[in-house]
Amino acid sequence: MTDFEIISPATIKELFIVIKKCGKDNFRFGAGYTDLLNELRKKTEPELKIINLAQVKDSQFTGIKTGIRGLWIGAMTTIQQLVSNQIINREFPVLHQSASSLASTQVRNVATIGGNICTASPSGDVSCALVSLNASCEILRVDGRTRMISIQDFFLGPRKTLLNRDEVLYRIFIPQNKPTSVSVHSGFIKVGTRQSMECSVVSLAFHIQSDKKSKIIKAGLAIGAASPTIRFTESACNFLIDKTLKNISESIKDEFAENVVVYASPISDLRASAWYRKEVLYNISKSVLEVNPS
Amino acid sequence: MNEDLEFIGKPFPKIDARMRVTGTAVYGNDIILPNMLYGAILRTAYPSALIESIDISAASKFPGVVSVITADDVDVNNISYKRDHPILKKGEVNCIRDEIAAVAAESIEIARHALTLIKVRYKVRQGIYDPYEALKDNAPLINKYAENKYNNKNLAEVFHYEHGDLTAQKNISKVIISRRFNLPRVTHTCLGTSNITAHFNKTDKKLLLYSSTQVPFLYQRDIAHALKMNPSDIRIIQPVIGGGFGSKLDMYPFEPICALLSIKTGRPVQILYSREEEFIASPTRQPMIIDITTGADKSGNFTFREINIMKDNGAYTSWGATTPFVMMQAFSSLYKVGACSFDSKAVYTNNVFAGSFRGYGNPQATFALERMIDLMADKLGIDKADIRVKNANQKGEITGQGLHYDTCGHRECLETVISKSEYKKIQSLNKKGRYRHGIGFASMLHVGGGAKIYRSDGCGTTIKIDPYGFCIIITGSSEIGQGSETVLAMIAAEELGIELSRIKVINSDTDVKPWDVGVHASRTSFVAGNSLLGAIAILKEKLNKKAAFILNTDFSDLQYKKGKINSIKEGKSIDLDKVVREMHFSPPGELAIASYFYEPDSHFQDKEFKGNVSGSYAFAAQAIKVEVDTYTGNIKVIDVYVAQDVGKVLNPLLLAGQIEGGILQGVGYAISEELLFEKGRLLNPDFHNYKILTASDIPDIHFFPVETNDKRGPYGAKGVGEAPLIPTAAAIANAVCDALNLEFVELPLTPERVMIALRENISI
Repeated sequence: MTDFEIISPATIKELFIVIKKCGKDNFRFGAGYTDLLNELRKKTEPELKIINLAQVKDSQFTGIKTGIRGLWIGAMTTIQQLVSNQIINREFPVLHQSASSLASTQVRNVATIGGNICTASPSGDVSCALVSLNASCEILRVDGRTRMISIQDFFLGPRKTLLNRDEVLYRIFIPQNKPTSVSVHSGFIKVGTRQSMECSVVSLAFHIQSDKKSKIIKAGLAIGAASPTIRFTESACNFLIDKTLKNISESIKDEFAENVVVYASPISDLRASAWYRKEVLYNISKSVLEVNPS
Repeated sequence: MNEDLEFIGKPFPKIDARMRVTGTAVYGNDIILPNMLYGAILRTAYPSALIESIDISAASKFPGVVSVITADDVDVNNISYKRDHPILKKGEVNCIRDEIAAVAAESIEIARHALTLIKVRYKVRQGIYDPYEALKDNAPLINKYAENKYNNKNLAEVFHYEHGDLTAQKNISKVIISRRFNLPRVTHTCLGTSNITAHFNKTDKKLLLYSSTQVPFLYQRDIAHALKMNPSDIRIIQPVIGGGFGSKLDMYPFEPICALLSIKTGRPVQILYSREEEFIASPTRQPMIIDITTGADKSGNFTFREINIMKDNGAYTSWGATTPFVMMQAFSSLYKVGACSFDSKAVYTNNVFAGSFRGYGNPQATFALERMIDLMADKLGIDKADIRVKNANQKGEITGQGLHYDTCGHRECLETVISKSEYKKIQSLNKKGRYRHGIGFASMLHVGGGAKIYRSDGCGTTIKIDPYGFCIIITGSSEIGQGSETVLAMIAAEELGIELSRIKVINSDTDVKPWDVGVHASRTSFVAGNSLLGAIAILKEKLNKKAAFILNTDFSDLQYKKGKINSIKEGKSIDLDKVVREMHFSPPGELAIASYFYEPDSHFQDKEFKGNVSGSYAFAAQAIKVEVDTYTGNIKVIDVYVAQDVGKVLNPLLLAGQIEGGILQGVGYAISEELLFEKGRLLNPDFHNYKILTASDIPDIHFFPVETNDKRGPYGAKGVGEAPLIPTAAAIANAVCDALNLEFVELPLTPERVMIALRENISI
């Protein structure tokens, strides 16, 4: 177990001061602690400081707000807040479902969306949904400057993000569904052995918008636990444009699934082999287009 | 006897439930003694190695460290029933659990840090992790303490059993099928991790152990042998135990190690396992490879079974090596079968050793047996339900092994689950498309009235009523969460007319309680219940004498109800506590106290393993419906129909708890749980990758108790604890094979194994 000192800033301003003060010291951010404590228990890090974000009072940082062009979700919003948010449930079922499938009620009550993103796990459920939704990350720097980064670009590798030491993830922006979209086929498919407390063996997030003629006008698909980072499957998304969900032939489903699977470069580990991950990813990709599955 | 029962058969919550759910129950992990030290154990870095040197100097000097011990510092005997297990290892290590040194320190952090300061030089060896390899002539000797009585240095234990004329039975068989099944290593995952607190008093040289053992009196003797002490100088107190399931049947090295640290320091010492240590160093179910051949005649009558089992014993022997006692019961006596030949070997390897686990070999045996029944039914074109009913055991049957079925609900259990699952109506299960449905059956036979495998299978009880009308039951039996305290209190309430809140059960101190062989073999309600009834009968004789005198009536007229003794004839009554005071305070003076020892009238088995080993036998059948997702390989267990011959329901609430808990353990065994090893090292020592199922995975469990009223059991009851787990994996595997029209010969049926089978369209 790593011993650590904990510092709890109360405002964003204080947070910046604390980060500056830490300078080159060994520090980590703590949000919901559901991953961090497990990690620290397994190793010994010298002279570690934890900057505790849980006490920061800032309504933008901790809540969900509707903007003109989309939804802003503070990084410290808990997974449970996502689950119970009606707008998310209605407009972005993929996010609702991914949040609902994360770990367990106890974990969802403390784990945060920012933590899920910044852990940068290839199997992060909520992160996978956000990639399918073309979300962006608003990043604050200690000098007060902000930058917006597409969430796809945010992940550099397993547990690696492009956040600098003097930056924090502040908010996540999810663009509204297209004005011409009249129906949304959206969901999160999580594959694992058990229903709760499961880390995705492979996952697929999809958010497909169709117009009044039932033509697909925008599609977002992301795959998790199938490559070093969560991948947005752009060619599979483009492949769907102008197609109609209700009459898709078997061969088109296969072609679509092949378009998804090209983004997968899974590993074999304790939980599943690379073969299994690819095989199942292919099957569940097809299932996205089986609107009336047998 | 059973009419108008006021307590028995009623759903009373556990009397200790409030303490457990409010956190006031004191578990072993909660104990803090004055001046207590914390112990930690250094385990080997390699599963097989020679130890060239151990340097404890830096650890000994570290501030806060009070004692560091190695094998050189102690004078002890080996442990395990074969005495092949050194407490601290010297010269060599043979499995990844091996204890090399131990530290006692002022804090747990100091103790754990001190372990990192102990320098061990190893000469690493290859090791042997496959029992078949271990049997080869050129294999090195793994356990130098092994008896070598079986003509192979690495053979730990061998069993052979047979009945009937195998050749004749083969000749009348229309179908003969052979298979090899591979059963995994799983573990108990008790919520409370292993713990012990030892306090050696230097003045009177007595040792007090707070231990979670399931078998306190055998444990007292084993600890004494290990430490070369007199058993009577050792007192065992069992704190509230956070789960047993068989894992606390053996004594393990950490327990005498803790005692040794206390003896060295003269201070109390506590050792608590972390969850990771619990996974690595606590026992497992016996992994097995089962070769089986079975036959049936053209009408579907079972003719013979021929079984050959390879058990990976690990580096040392535990009670788990004796699981064939139970397995041969299932193979020889579950369903009628004309001939049976059973052989098993337990072979030393450099893997971890197994222990005992709820079911004690029976889930493995039942899996093999029930898979074979489906295969034979398929080949004969006989319905899978019909073939089971046709061969079901019967009341009055004496099996090939000599088990006497004085009561037997096997057929009724089968017929119940067949009808409740509406099996005959659901022939049109979905066998096409993504989601496929299947149904599978399995039965089980298990001892239900103790098991005479030790010289005594008995239990002692002392019961007293105090001058205020409260009843105290001092029982030899132990509570490990199964509810024995509650059942015993209900029996006393029923017989003495005392309300439950006025009954206390004392069951946790070897200096106080009478002897009992321990919690195992689903025996406690049966044996401790009968023992208590015996003690109550003696006590009532005394009370009756006084009450009959006061009420001026005869014994047969007396009735115990609601704290009073009533005379029906005279229409009079007297408070029970008043009778007790009259006994005590009027000459010649007598206390309301009685003791009784109950020994089941079962028999030791002979050298051929034949004989009526239990006072009663329990039967069960399960029908399980599954849905298999052919896109992911996931198995969803939808409905479990379970009928169990429990003799008599003593408490439906507690019974349901045993049934549901057992089934969930069985579902985990079937589809998700497996300890993964690579060359003797455990790869998944955590709940992240060792997948016990969660509340979200629970199927609908439909339970139908079958009451056969066994005259030997208390109120007719039989043992129930292990049974619900035993047929579950078999029934699930049968259901999955039914859904996919594929065959599986290995557990657990993980999504990946299912996908491979679907892709290859072959058996795996």
